[in-house]
Amino acid sequence: MREAFSNALVRLALADPKVLLLTGDHGYALFDEFRKRCPGQYINAGIAEQNMVGMAAGLARVGFRPFVYGLAAFVPIRTVEQIKLDIAHDDLPVVLLGDGAGFVYSHLGTSHQSTEDIACTRAIPGLKVLSPADRFEMTASMDYAYSVNGPVYLRMGKSDRGDVHTGPINSFSSGQLLKVRRGKVDLPGLIATGSMVSTAVDIAQELDLSVWSAPMVKPLLKDDVCAAASGSNGLVTLEEHSVLGGLGAAVTEITSEHHPTRVLRLGVPDRFSEYCGTHAYLLREHGLDIETVRNRISEFSRTVALGAHSVASS
Amino acid sequence: MRNLAPPRAEASTDTRFAPARMRRTVLEMAYAGSTVHIACAFSIIELVTVLYRNHLRYPGNDPRAAGRDYLVLSKGHGVMAQYACMHELGWLDDSHIQGYFKDGSELKGLSDSRVAGLEVTSGSLGHGFSVGVGIAMGLQRKGTDQKVYAIVGDGELNEGPIWEGALVAAHHRMDNLMLIVDKNGFQAMGTTDDVLALGDLTAKFTSFGFETLEVDGHDEAAIDIAIRQLWAAGAGRPKALIARTVKGRGVPFMESDNRWHYTRLNPQTFAEAIAALGIPGASK
Repeated sequence: MREAFSNALVRLALADPKVLLLTGDHGYALFDEFRKRCPGQYINAGIAEQNMVGMAAGLARVGFRPFVYGLAAFVPIRTVEQIKLDIAHDDLPVVLLGDGAGFVYSHLGTSHQSTEDIACTRAIPGLKVLSPADRFEMTASMDYAYSVNGPVYLRMGKSDRGDVHTGPINSFSSGQLLKVRRGKVDLPGLIATGSMVSTAVDIAQELDLSVWSAPMVKPLLKDDVCAAASGSNGLVTLEEHSVLGGLGAAVTEITSEHHPTRVLRLGVPDRFSEYCGTHAYLLREHGLDIETVRNRISEFSRTVALGAHSVASS
Repeated sequence: MRNLAPPRAEASTDTRFAPARMRRTVLEMAYAGSTVHIACAFSIIELVTVLYRNHLRYPGNDPRAAGRDYLVLSKGHGVMAQYACMHELGWLDDSHIQGYFKDGSELKGLSDSRVAGLEVTSGSLGHGFSVGVGIAMGLQRKGTDQKVYAIVGDGELNEGPIWEGALVAAHHRMDNLMLIVDKNGFQAMGTTDDVLALGDLTAKFTSFGFETLEVDGHDEAAIDIAIRQLWAAGAGRPKALIARTVKGRGVPFMESDNRWHYTRLNPQTFAEAIAALGIPGASK
């Protein structure tokens, strides 16, 4: 997935000399290929993220296409105001790349973890929010981010969860849900984003559930969410992000208004990590490990089925 | 001290941007809109006068011309001074002045980049300069001779991104960028010395790698000379002009009285302020 990212960046930069990569002194090995192939388009802006994002706005103002890279804890979180005022307010074509989102830096503690970035960016007017799940979604996301010619936040989380799709995504359009698996319509359907799509697929195979991936959290197509809701008995959202303001919120905003549906939002509870450990350990600490997620989905499935029964029998 | 090119003041017959008339425009706007931030605009009147009259290039008098120079008002609170210049240029008409702050009006109380003629959305301090650094980097990469001027307040120098941007500007040898500090000695809650002392700004910016000059920020000829000297000196170095100014300059009862950061005009103070400008026939 990271190779897909690097390849896409190099390809876009070679095709368009206006593409610039700005990094806040991060991406040690990640940008080796870029630095080799496009040295004139690589700018290490120093450990100065606020200035870097403002500078990207200035570069975009005079015709460049900046891709601004940082850890998600810093780009976008440290620089939310620069993104809002300097970039999004003028609809400037800047792509913000937030790496290590969620609990990737599981041993380093809260400063490097990012479970609020979708919520913060989603509320910024006009800013699109991408959250690819595998290498195929990453390639499609990078192409989309370049082609949209406006402000984009691309979230990169845990990247070694394997492929979700079987091959390149040819029809990647704005806000669409990608169907990954068709399951039983009388059971809950799973809508997941980023690293949690893989977890959703694993559980869906055991329980025969439908799975959709949301490579884009904003915009999110109303019709796709409603179709998922009508093709399932309740929805479960999964994300390595706070249960507040992320994919779960985006889905429930749509269903509550257009297709009333029970929705179980699985994500990071409203608290910081208490301990450190492996990524798998932190998922467990926050109830996002596969056992806990499976149990909660099964319980939700029973509740929804009972609810449907009690409604039918009343 | 570095050896700078000898001063060569250029006499101008351009009667636009007369400081007293611009201050009157600011007062008329502030009175019409019952707005604050009058004193913040008054401290930079001569600076913007000299910039617009002698330095900024707008091909075809087009505020969005691709080949223009960029004036980035990082201290967005002084935006009425820039509006006054835009009025002189014909980019704004009298209805903008008299209709300031009416419901649905385009001109806001702080710089907004969606207005043609304003380059950044500022007022949240410490933003505009970084955007200006990015513009300068972009123009440098394009190899044009366009210039970027960024006016920052001395209070605004409290903001960290200014110093991040200063490092980057020097590192990338941005000699197309001029930082202009409106050193009026005040910020919102008091003097800069009392709130967060800035120390020797000339020494600071020089140490950051800027070609730096200090100037009386209300002396048009001196400002003009200093700007020319800075552009002529130190290839490969960004420029800093430290302009000593007086907050509220031009209306004696506003000068160095920080209440005029916040105070609105009433009919009496408006009349007194207009009279203090000493413009013949300006007794309305």
